Amino acid sequence: MSGGKKTDSTETAAKKKFTRRDFLVTGGTVVAVDALIATTPAAAVAASPAPPPEKVQAYPASKGYLVYDSKKCIGCTTCMLSCSLTHYGVQSLSLARIQIIQDSFGKFPTDLEMAPCRQCKYPPCVQSCPVQACFVDEANGNVRRIDTDKCIGCKTCLKMCPQQPHRTVWNHEIKKSTKCDLCLETPYWNEKGGIGGKQACVESCPMKAIKFVSEMPDQKETDGYNVNLRNEHWLKLGLVDDSRIVPPGSRSMGGGAPKAKMQAPKAKA
Amino acid sequence: MPGGYTGKILRVNLTTKQVSTIPTEKYVEFGGGHGIGSAVFFDLVGDQLPFDAFDPRNLIIMMASPFSGTFMPGSGRCEVQGLGPMLYPIEWFGHSNFGGRFTAQMKFAGWDGIVVEGASDSPVYIDVINDQVKIEDATNGVWGMDTWDAQQEISRRAVPGLKQGEWAELAQNCFTTQIPAVVACGPAGERKSRLGALLHGPGSQAALCGFGGVFGSKNLKAISFLGTGSVPIADPKAFMDARLWFRQFQWDVDNPRDAEIFEGGGYSLINGAPSGGNVTNGGPNRVPARAAACASCPRGCKMRLATGDSNEAVCAGTMVANVGGGGMFAAFGRKPDPNAMPTALSQKLTRQANDLMHRYGLGHWQVMATRGYIEALVREGVIGKGKQIDFELPPAGSFAYHETMFRTIALREGPLGALAAEGAARMAEKLGRYQKDVSSGMLRLTYYGTQEHYDSATQVEWGYGSILGERDLMLHQMANYPLHWMAQSGNPYLDAEQASKLYAEAMVPYEDDRYLVDYGEGPTGIYSDSKVKQVAWVKHYEKFWIGAGGFCGWRWPQCITNNTADRRGATPHAEPRFWNAVTGQNKTFADYMELGHKIFTLDRAIWALQGRTRDMEVFPDYVYDQESRGSVQPMVVDGKWTYATGQGRKLDRAKVEDWKTRFYKFEGYNPATGIATRETLEKMGMKKVADTLEKRGKLG
Repeated sequence: MSGGKKTDSTETAAKKKFTRRDFLVTGGTVVAVDALIATTPAAAVAASPAPPPEKVQAYPASKGYLVYDSKKCIGCTTCMLSCSLTHYGVQSLSLARIQIIQDSFGKFPTDLEMAPCRQCKYPPCVQSCPVQACFVDEANGNVRRIDTDKCIGCKTCLKMCPQQPHRTVWNHEIKKSTKCDLCLETPYWNEKGGIGGKQACVESCPMKAIKFVSEMPDQKETDGYNVNLRNEHWLKLGLVDDSRIVPPGSRSMGGGAPKAKMQAPKAKA
Repeated sequence: MPGGYTGKILRVNLTTKQVSTIPTEKYVEFGGGHGIGSAVFFDLVGDQLPFDAFDPRNLIIMMASPFSGTFMPGSGRCEVQGLGPMLYPIEWFGHSNFGGRFTAQMKFAGWDGIVVEGASDSPVYIDVINDQVKIEDATNGVWGMDTWDAQQEISRRAVPGLKQGEWAELAQNCFTTQIPAVVACGPAGERKSRLGALLHGPGSQAALCGFGGVFGSKNLKAISFLGTGSVPIADPKAFMDARLWFRQFQWDVDNPRDAEIFEGGGYSLINGAPSGGNVTNGGPNRVPARAAACASCPRGCKMRLATGDSNEAVCAGTMVANVGGGGMFAAFGRKPDPNAMPTALSQKLTRQANDLMHRYGLGHWQVMATRGYIEALVREGVIGKGKQIDFELPPAGSFAYHETMFRTIALREGPLGALAAEGAARMAEKLGRYQKDVSSGMLRLTYYGTQEHYDSATQVEWGYGSILGERDLMLHQMANYPLHWMAQSGNPYLDAEQASKLYAEAMVPYEDDRYLVDYGEGPTGIYSDSKVKQVAWVKHYEKFWIGAGGFCGWRWPQCITNNTADRRGATPHAEPRFWNAVTGQNKTFADYMELGHKIFTLDRAIWALQGRTRDMEVFPDYVYDQESRGSVQPMVVDGKWTYATGQGRKLDRAKVEDWKTRFYKFEGYNPATGIATRETLEKMGMKKVADTLEKRGKLG
């Protein structure tokens, strides 16, 4: 089952320069994908806030981002199920464009990882898409999106996303790549999404552990996205030893006062 | 098919190794979970009853609900059914359930449930990934493992390339970041212990009934599910709207309502705030932890600790062992004994000792009863060095004491282990002391071999609801948390009159009865027709919403709540709103409660085939003969609502029997037998059940 725009892949492909078959079956797979990997500074994008090499195209910054607090998350997966429901009308973890990964036997805080799309400043998914199906939607706040009508299912964007797990998500039902669109296209929800609208994961998270922000988070590893969204009420639960009230002037993505110190666990290597 | 169902139930015969499917559509009228499980059990083996729980004909039925795999709040539980070897004196057709993400993965794999029949001739486990079902050899390392190692090893074997934090590609180009959901028995279950539990994750237990022992009797170590599919929703927009509407009933983590009243203190377990279920990680020595939830739960009552001990265990799962006094006092603000072990060490060892219980696969609630009985027999000089049971335990309260206790029981070590593995009831029976010890209250096995939970003379919906069932009711949200524990806090947010009014208004279809939660001894109290209706409501809610819907008994029902301005809870509006949105059906709360009545009636028919009679549905003598210790509840005293304890009262046998007569009639059962009449069964569409009962001379 697909989202709002269901399109037959054969019909779609016929309208494009490339087809999935052209790209994969003719033997271009390895060459084409590897070439893209070689020329795209994915690692640099992930690891460094430094300006990109000249050959990397500049993109207008997204006017919206999802930040999250992985220490506040309880792992209920409501965000994932809200995502799949509003986009596809079903409840599915595999189709969700935000992933919560957890191990019941693990040790806090590494027992759980939250993985929403970062709406990257230099988006490798957009850079690497051979058919421009992955694009910056300038009409909608520069959200990085995938047009599934154009997508040929080559999975290049999955391979090029530098994050683990990759934030581009394979939809096995329509055999296309998808990604977070900040709920711009949610045919199964009565609310308006996107920039200035609402996001299903943000609205449904019972812990308020996901937040929409307009300011671009720090692009260095995951530091800028995994923030402290806890206030004094969470502190009273006594769960964490580092939810301290922070000195005035400290920056927090969290709402409510007093603000708490930002947390920045390191990204996976 | 209505929304919410995948359309098929997996059927695995371990004797023949045959794998087949049962179409869910055949059983949709029973809702899901417990309802479908009871109907499947009746159809497959009902006419062969009675037989023993360890007979290969016994079934393990694990059913999901239409809500499983969805974000319906607090619906993440898995219902397990079959003959329960722990129950006494007859191994009743019983049920237990556990939280986590097992049913979610079952649904994503494309299954509404699994039915296991027969017994393998050598140890196996069942591995399901989407539509691929394998019966795998467990002799190569898995059999013999504790529950934690077994689950993790099976996960590794099921998806060899799985790395946490990355997408794994399964067959047919499907991807997941999730790890398999495994439920396993431990060494206790392998040895057919009647205390054997099923473990999912480190601390989520199906603790009651001894289903771990049934796994062992079938040479079944574990069942694993992993899926990449979807749960269809009939009306996605309505479902999403309902989920967001429900936020008003949740604890607001950033801005709790009336935080000065409800944050901490006596409300920490019942306010709906995250993490309150683990009572061994509190106070100044608390280890940093995550509040952790079952699939879809907006509360997250569990914890995952930085030390990794006591992960996901709650309530009794953190209470059985108590090393150096380090158990519950921290969470409840009790001051530790200054001469005792340092608190941090005490708490840590307490957590680790309880973990041993989980790893051995011992059911916490009944191990607690058995341990207590062992301690009593030590005091009486029955157990000890050179005594009738020649066994010396390490000093009570030490880590060694708990380690020895759990190991001895789980591995059936020595004369004590052989006895205790049979559970407290059969242990007492083998010692020739059952009647004496249970009647006197020394061994408080109040409901069919399961231990007393709350005082039966005051919290009577719990007591009545248990003896009219097959084991401890174990449903805190029915009236216990919201009423008893609210009053117990010392600072109830509703007075008794207000609470009883709001409660009654939520209890559709009996909302016109103002005295449903009167626990006094007056004309509207514990022997009244109002109590008949309350207990009927409890049993019907238990069977449909909790059982068929997979609801958590800590979250539902929600007749009142501290999280709304007017203190009204989500019941009875939320349940049908969510159910109808998911399934596409269009029924009322009362309609679904009547389905609960139907499932309850079917369960009672199965018990009748096992030999249940009215005279078995009684409490042990101590409940009638000894003065109640009391338990604070709302009561009408001298014509006025108040909170009172009922301390000193005795439950009156004749009045209880009279109450039962009225209850049976109310439910459409023959008051002489407690079994449904043909008229009742046929009215419910269960003619074949009536025919079977009649053929066996059991019709009510």
